[in-house]
Amino acid sequence: MRTEIWRHFDFWLLGIVAVLIIFGVAMINSAIAGNIELVELDTVSRQITFAFIGFIVILITAAMDYHLWVSIARVLYAMLAIFLSVILVSGETAFGAARLLDIGFLIIQPSELAKLTIIILAADFFARNQEKLVELVWIVRSVLLTLVLVALIILQPDLSTSIVLLVIWFALLWASGLKTKHLLFFIFLGLLLSIITFPFLEDYQQQRLVNFAFPDPEASFGENYNVNQARITIGSGGVLGQGYDQSSQVQLRFLKVRHNDFIFSSIAAEFGLVGNLAILILIFLVIWRCLRAARLARDMVGALIAYGVATWIAFQAIVNIGMNLNLLPVTGLPLPFVSHGGSSLLSLMLGIGLVESVISHHATLEF
Amino acid sequence: MKSENSWRYSMMFTAFIGVGLVIAVQLVRLQFSPQASSFIEQAARYAWEPRLVNAPRGQIYDRWGNLLAGNRTVYEVGVELAYVEDPQAIAFTIHGLLGEDYARVLRLASMEASDEAVYNRLSDFTSVDNVEILKNQIDQRREDIRASIPPTGPNLEGLVFRAHLARSFPEGLLAATILGFVGQDEIGYHGIEEYYDELLAGTSQEIWVPRDPNRVEELPEIPPGDSLVLTIDRELQAMVEEILDNSVEEWDAAGGTIVVMDPNTGEIYAMASTPHLNPNEFSNYDAVFPDNAPFNWATSKSYEPGSVFKIFTMAAAIDLGLVTPETPFFDTGEIIVGEIPIRNWDNNAWGPQNMLSCMQHSLNVCLAWVGTQLKAGNFYDYMRRFGFGHITGIDIAGEATGRLKEPGDGDWYPADLGTNTFGQGISVTPVQMLMAISAIANEGHMVTPHIVRSLVDGSNQFNIQPQFAGQPISSETARIMTEMLTETLENKESLALVSGIRVAGKSGTGEISTLDGYSDRTNASFVGWGPVDDPQFIVYVWLEDPTPIWGSLVAAPVFKQVVERLVVSLNLPPDNVRIGLLEDSSE
Repeated sequence: MRTEIWRHFDFWLLGIVAVLIIFGVAMINSAIAGNIELVELDTVSRQITFAFIGFIVILITAAMDYHLWVSIARVLYAMLAIFLSVILVSGETAFGAARLLDIGFLIIQPSELAKLTIIILAADFFARNQEKLVELVWIVRSVLLTLVLVALIILQPDLSTSIVLLVIWFALLWASGLKTKHLLFFIFLGLLLSIITFPFLEDYQQQRLVNFAFPDPEASFGENYNVNQARITIGSGGVLGQGYDQSSQVQLRFLKVRHNDFIFSSIAAEFGLVGNLAILILIFLVIWRCLRAARLARDMVGALIAYGVATWIAFQAIVNIGMNLNLLPVTGLPLPFVSHGGSSLLSLMLGIGLVESVISHHATLEF
Repeated sequence: MKSENSWRYSMMFTAFIGVGLVIAVQLVRLQFSPQASSFIEQAARYAWEPRLVNAPRGQIYDRWGNLLAGNRTVYEVGVELAYVEDPQAIAFTIHGLLGEDYARVLRLASMEASDEAVYNRLSDFTSVDNVEILKNQIDQRREDIRASIPPTGPNLEGLVFRAHLARSFPEGLLAATILGFVGQDEIGYHGIEEYYDELLAGTSQEIWVPRDPNRVEELPEIPPGDSLVLTIDRELQAMVEEILDNSVEEWDAAGGTIVVMDPNTGEIYAMASTPHLNPNEFSNYDAVFPDNAPFNWATSKSYEPGSVFKIFTMAAAIDLGLVTPETPFFDTGEIIVGEIPIRNWDNNAWGPQNMLSCMQHSLNVCLAWVGTQLKAGNFYDYMRRFGFGHITGIDIAGEATGRLKEPGDGDWYPADLGTNTFGQGISVTPVQMLMAISAIANEGHMVTPHIVRSLVDGSNQFNIQPQFAGQPISSETARIMTEMLTETLENKESLALVSGIRVAGKSGTGEISTLDGYSDRTNASFVGWGPVDDPQFIVYVWLEDPTPIWGSLVAAPVFKQVVERLVVSLNLPPDNVRIGLLEDSSE
């Protein structure tokens, strides 16, 4: 049985993820060079530590049957809801948002775990109620489950994670066989919701959207600063970039949050178009391997989990890169596996572990 | 798992591919769009910053190549905030050693290091010695810690030192009023430093340096500014300054100036004036020169010269042929010019005189009469030709023009002609007097005083040629005047007489005018030149407000002292020896 698991274990997926993480660590190392605060916080070694923990997590999760996770999905969900509520009451504030909770040895972001929890929970829900999804009531039930977490996270306020949760939910719903009329209904509802909620967004969130939609050509600092710097960085990178640890845009800190949100731009500056395309291809390969796992999965819930993880990675990657390229408004979503951030990396790797579990177990228990 | 929904996975996957392609296209487009070049340009602009690098300032030498102004290494002392361990120890030490404000240093040293605050400057223009002390303390402490001895000294970790050049004047006070000084802004103030600021400063270059501290860029060697060789003789200058300082003290004068010039070329051999300021300690400027008081009296302070000025009145009259030294004059003790009576210095009537004795006894009445003979038109014409009323053009910053009132000016009255003839109601600067005297000492040819002998630009040397400022009087007049002023000195056994060398000269005692009219304070001056058969020097002495008040008593002996030292410096043999040699060689 042991050997059976490792026979189907997707070493390609693990390898690609490893390459992405290593690339990311190297870029973080270059990006924070000279920044006293970040160097003193051991940013790089923390990322490496998280990566190592993450690999162990992947192996353990892969070895475990993913049904185990599915069975505790509701518990996870409940714990998470409590967690998020606690944060709302007494969270540490980072960059204006209370997203972190210190649980002893590391500071983790429960909202990262929320993405994973929603994947498992929704996969379970849809797998069990697939036939009932022709009725709108069941769809509404599933969305209510999601909305509890979304509400708790949006209050932090963390709009982008909330959107990720909704996207995951919707993607799973779609994969479970959403009817076209319902799809159109949800599209309409989504548009309506975003228009209605806009006035309730935080000022900075509104500002970002306005700046994205109607950029002020005069604003070189402030509102459009990050985006402009990112475009300058990418635009000046050229085909091959200025070389590792060499880019002035990155090294001189014109590019803000260059080690997480804008790490794609940092890569552009130091490795050029080639580096960016490499990242694109690697992430694409990860998604492809996840979707392959979904296709090969033994059952519906496994397929939906793998599919959900793929959607999660794809959506974050698209939003992050789109933001770097000024194709999408600025959000705080990191580039999967590459950006700095322990919780994000760990939960993504846990997701990969689940996918590995799905693929490892797809042929093991054929009754 | 195969199911009827697998097309949905494929569709999603296709959508991802589609978005991925859009991203890739946008990536490529950014690189190759027309905007790309502007992105690259903008990024380059961020990566490099222009830094103005000053050329090392040119040196200043005396005529024999002795350094008067050079550059020394000084340090900017600052803190690298990330490495500071004990801000209080730093503040205490910097306050104690460099005199910086304790609270300010403490605030700067205890700032939290961040992206924006990396380095703070604590002090600048710190000497090598003080920096050595600080460095030793840091090293000592590190060694103690390495050797596991409890460190005793203050913890100065975080201090950094950046060397740069600053002006230094190795001779201190010597020639201070000629040289001027250089401020912390590296701009020359006063004197040579200001006048030749551009040449000395050289061309500072704007160099684009990378902002990235990790990228070391070699700074290009910037050619230093031009160096200057002055006409000043350091030894003579020192002696003249000493004589001036002693005289000012001896006669209790408010200040004074002594200038020594070569009448043939206009080269200034020495130019001393008090008050003066050590240019290395220019921060005392306001204390020494309150309210922008003239920095160099020889060039920047105008005054009423008094009887010395009679030389030019007499020279004008002789040049026009109105009088000769033998022309008789009967002094009644008073003459009315422009309805104002003019009297002699002693209010006496001196009876029958001639022009020579008029000069010898310095009779105002006589000279006012000469003025009436000249008439205003001729008199002021000559005074203009002697250069009064406008700058000489000497190459020292801040030259004053003096004031020559002329008919037609709103404040000129006919009575002014009378007083002007003996140097009252007119203001001049010492260098104007020197230049005008050069016409008499140099056969009528007036020479512009100058203080820079040559410019040295890299390996090229440009010598400054003497500049002539016209010929106000004939060479015959010049000779007559020189002879006349030699005889007058000899006749009255002037204190200015020097053994072995015949000198010509005239003392002056100008009353200092105040708002309430003329006071009993005076400007005592003496101008003399020699040897009279072939003048090699003009010496100008002026003491303000001395006791006793008379130029003939106060300034004349100073002249003598200077000449006695001067003949040694210039290698001037006594007249009899020199003339003997000339006769020997001509046989």
